[in-house]
Amino acid sequence: MKIFGKRLFRPRSIWIRKIVQWFFFLLIALISINHTLIENGGGIPFLSTASLHALCPFGGVVTIYQYAAVGTFVQKIHESAFVLMIIGFALAFLFGPVFCGWACPLGTVQEWIAKLGRKFFKRRYNQFVPARLDKVLRYLRYLVLAWVIYVTATSGTLIFAVYDPYFALFNFWTSEVAIGGLIILSATLVLSVFIERPWCKYACPYGAVLGITNLFRVFQIKRAESTCKADGACSIMCPMNIPVDKVKTVRDHQCISCLECTSEAVCPVAQTVVFTTGAVK
Amino acid sequence: MTLTSKPLAALIFIILFGGIAFTTAMGWFATESTKEPTTFTEGEFAGLANPADIRGSYTFGDIEKSFGIPSAILAQAFSIQTNDPAFFAIKELEVIYAASEFEVGTASVKLFVALYNGLPLDLSTDMSLPENAAALLKEKNLTPEQLAYLDSHTIPNPAAASDSLEPAPVQVTESAPESASTEQLIKGKTTFQEVLDWGVTQETIEQVMGVPMPNPLTKIKDYCLEKRLDFEIIKTALQVEADKVK
Ligand code: SF4
Ligand code: SF4
Repeated sequence: MKIFGKRLFRPRSIWIRKIVQWFFFLLIALISINHTLIENGGGIPFLSTASLHALCPFGGVVTIYQYAAVGTFVQKIHESAFVLMIIGFALAFLFGPVFCGWACPLGTVQEWIAKLGRKFFKRRYNQFVPARLDKVLRYLRYLVLAWVIYVTATSGTLIFAVYDPYFALFNFWTSEVAIGGLIILSATLVLSVFIERPWCKYACPYGAVLGITNLFRVFQIKRAESTCKADGACSIMCPMNIPVDKVKTVRDHQCISCLECTSEAVCPVAQTVVFTTGAVK
Repeated sequence: MTLTSKPLAALIFIILFGGIAFTTAMGWFATESTKEPTTFTEGEFAGLANPADIRGSYTFGDIEKSFGIPSAILAQAFSIQTNDPAFFAIKELEVIYAASEFEVGTASVKLFVALYNGLPLDLSTDMSLPENAAALLKEKNLTPEQLAYLDSHTIPNPAAASDSLEPAPVQVTESAPESASTEQLIKGKTTFQEVLDWGVTQETIEQVMGVPMPNPLTKIKDYCLEKRLDFEIIKTALQVEADKVK
């Protein structure tokens, strides 16, 4: 709300993003449950019965090689994953990795645990990993990506499903889940008490793919130096520890387009950190 | 142009669900592989579904849809007792008949469907059927050759079902895991790469098939169809090689 150009109430966070995150979390959870029910003769009416593999845009990414080489999909991957991959790329090309910041249920669950971590550790939360080590570790997810693509291309099977914490999160009640996935999921959840989105930062291969779009996306996070108070609030609140207050345009490969750093949320000055296509002063 | 959170949320929804709606309308948003077998392309059966293309992922319900054989009959034939036979996946037969000396699985269902509906199927490989299935088939008009094949390939029903045409008490409790990755069994979706990974050399595979091996990621079954080779024969021969290197 604004009076005489001044904001009386400034939300500390993007509340609509939380609603969207809840929506996707519930949607995927219900579809997963429905898939199990259908296999056992039940089911929830009007809800997709697809398996999680069919609804994972990363499934489309890992099957690209096989599709180009022999014209078929990796086992358990279907056309829908390909379509979602293309939609995911289109969204990322326009807005950056909004899938991560707004839709991915695994990202959401890590954020929920982050709230707990923040309560415990206050401002020390999300600052435990030494900066130099952290900088190197942030590229680890590209190694994971290369490994996943390599093993899928050479085996023609979805080997990553065995380690995938996202699959484990929504299938822990089924016989399809592998112990590797459960271990990685548990480690991710425990680490989330200390670090915000540890899986996203250091290991997620899909986040790695989408992260590349931060270099050239159409809408970018920009900071107006002329009005910036340099209080560093944007950097402190950034879940991905990006030093927003040190740059004019965020091009960091880890940005998830959550908008939490913008003047709509944590930045105290109006129109200073914005999500825009244009230039800012 | 500057965006705030609400228009961004709206755009995410519009692009995502608009994209899904559009591709669904175009028939591009398939979330599972089609459960419709290919049809015979020539001869008197042209246009009818081909039992040779039945896959392990089909349920009795899928077979009912494509071949018109009621799920309850299929359940009776294979002694499956379940409240809803239409949801029984035929890949589970292997688990249920695991104790049997002879393999009862997808091939058995192909055989049953072909003989039940009077459709052609290559009988040069060994496919077994339980007694209940054989009894149901003997009520059909089988040729002497088919009857002889049936007699030599009938195995006992699983445990308590042996002397009854009633559905036998094989209780289906849970689905077999989709990826029985450690067993070295050639199935409809096995790729050449998997067989190579088990230790069978490319040379052996090519010897068995009599044609050069394609890109290893190709499914063996797809390649057999493409090269007009009999998948059942190739499968059996490759299985022998795979068992040798176990
Ligand atoms: S980085 Fe991976 S796990 Fe994290 S939000 Fe993105 S897709 Fe999900
Ligand atoms: S830079 Fe801003 S939009 Fe990007 S991840 Fe950090 S807080 Fe979110």
